Amino acid sequence: MTDRLLTLDDDGIEAALRALSGEIDWPTASPTTADGMTTAPDVATRVRARLATREPRSRRGWTFGGRPLRRGLVLALLALLGLAIVAGAVGLGLPGLRITLGEPPASVLPSVSPTVSPTASRAPTPTPTLPPITGMRLALGRQVALDQVESETGVPVRLPKDERLGRPDSVWIDPAKGDQVAYVWKASSDLPQTLEPGVGLVLMRFDGQNEEGFYDKAINSGTTLERVKVGGHDGYWISGDPHFFFYTTADGRFVEDPRRWVGAALIWTDGTATYRIESSLGRDATIALAASIE
Amino acid sequence: MYGVRLSWRAVHIEDAELIARARAGDVAAYEAIVRRYQDVAVRTAHLICPETDADDAVQEAFIKAFDALPRFREGSPIRPWLLRIVANEARNRRRSAGRRQGLALRAADAAPQRTAPGPEAIVMAAEERSELLAALATLRDDDQEVLGARFLLDLSEAETAETLGLPRGTVKSRTSRALGRLREVLGADGGVDR
Repeated sequence: MTDRLLTLDDDGIEAALRALSGEIDWPTASPTTADGMTTAPDVATRVRARLATREPRSRRGWTFGGRPLRRGLVLALLALLGLAIVAGAVGLGLPGLRITLGEPPASVLPSVSPTVSPTASRAPTPTPTLPPITGMRLALGRQVALDQVESETGVPVRLPKDERLGRPDSVWIDPAKGDQVAYVWKASSDLPQTLEPGVGLVLMRFDGQNEEGFYDKAINSGTTLERVKVGGHDGYWISGDPHFFFYTTADGRFVEDPRRWVGAALIWTDGTATYRIESSLGRDATIALAASIE
Repeated sequence: MYGVRLSWRAVHIEDAELIARARAGDVAAYEAIVRRYQDVAVRTAHLICPETDADDAVQEAFIKAFDALPRFREGSPIRPWLLRIVANEARNRRRSAGRRQGLALRAADAAPQRTAPGPEAIVMAAEERSELLAALATLRDDDQEVLGARFLLDLSEAETAETLGLPRGTVKSRTSRALGRLREVLGADGGVDR
């Protein structure tokens, strides 16, 4: 036993405990090797992946005065209500309700029939469901066919020449946002899912800006911005935490896209238009894909 | 000639906005909340049940917390609310974890911790650290929890109360009592040596 610990008062013990905290072998949320290299996704990434892939569930329950009620409480209240209705009806002697002790009279027994009602064996009619449209939750504007893009916007279709992609699974236009055109591909073994469930890649194109325009991005401190070249043009690779995207058009209108957060993304301009790709392929593969656009 | 001038700014997004988005089902916003508090959450789980896989317990707790978000009281701090769910998950695991192992000191040659010591920090010799940790391990679970939350995790009294599910007055009295017991253990003949 060292003498110094024996002489500490409460304040001293508190300070000693605080100092001890830094010496404890705490586990971390981001598994790392001894030299600090990350070896696995952190807790936040794993939580997001679990939430994004599990079955959708209704999270809206019963409420009272805007406050959610527990399921057990709701069931208990319904049971009490049922009992109260029965008790009230019996007490008032309402017609149509009898409580009979012993054998029920023959008149209330169900009749036995050798025939089976045709409705009893009818299989339930399946409710027709339509396949979801890839990207429909992204609020990218109005859906159009690929061959309508040029006639609707005056912008020729330009897509990456990459056999992994094929034709986009859906196409959207939004004339209010600089004739924005968005091509969406669903996730596949070649296109890992982005932050949007089921979506593997989004390519957006909107009108370029003159020098007075600007783009702005509300980003978390965990978002990194890296200057890159895309086929000789300036661009940025944005990765890390999800971020918002908004900008001002050439005619001064503020365009906001706050409906969702964007994960890893590449943004670049070819001098006349600005492009943005959201992808989980990683920086180099996304840049290669972008450079193949023709 | 067209060009694009990009200007960027880092904006701290307040918890309240992230919570509102997460409640509306925005998983990415919830991920940002988790990332903000995952380190202290893992330590909380480890403090309460060092025998369990802390990050697994925390992952499970954060999933439960996401489903419980509709019951979160708007405007209140989310950190202790999350930590309480983490603490409950760790306690559940402690019941089936068997013998207590206690906290351990990191290896002498391990990389330094990221948390910087506060101004009141004192420098302790290796022997003192071992004695203090061993003395802490002799206390009852509830005493260890309250001292651990207050001084190892550096939570405020209010945060400790919510995390451990105790009235604030109980945190104050239990802290005082636990510190007294810790001093008694340290002062006992021969102390506690490992």
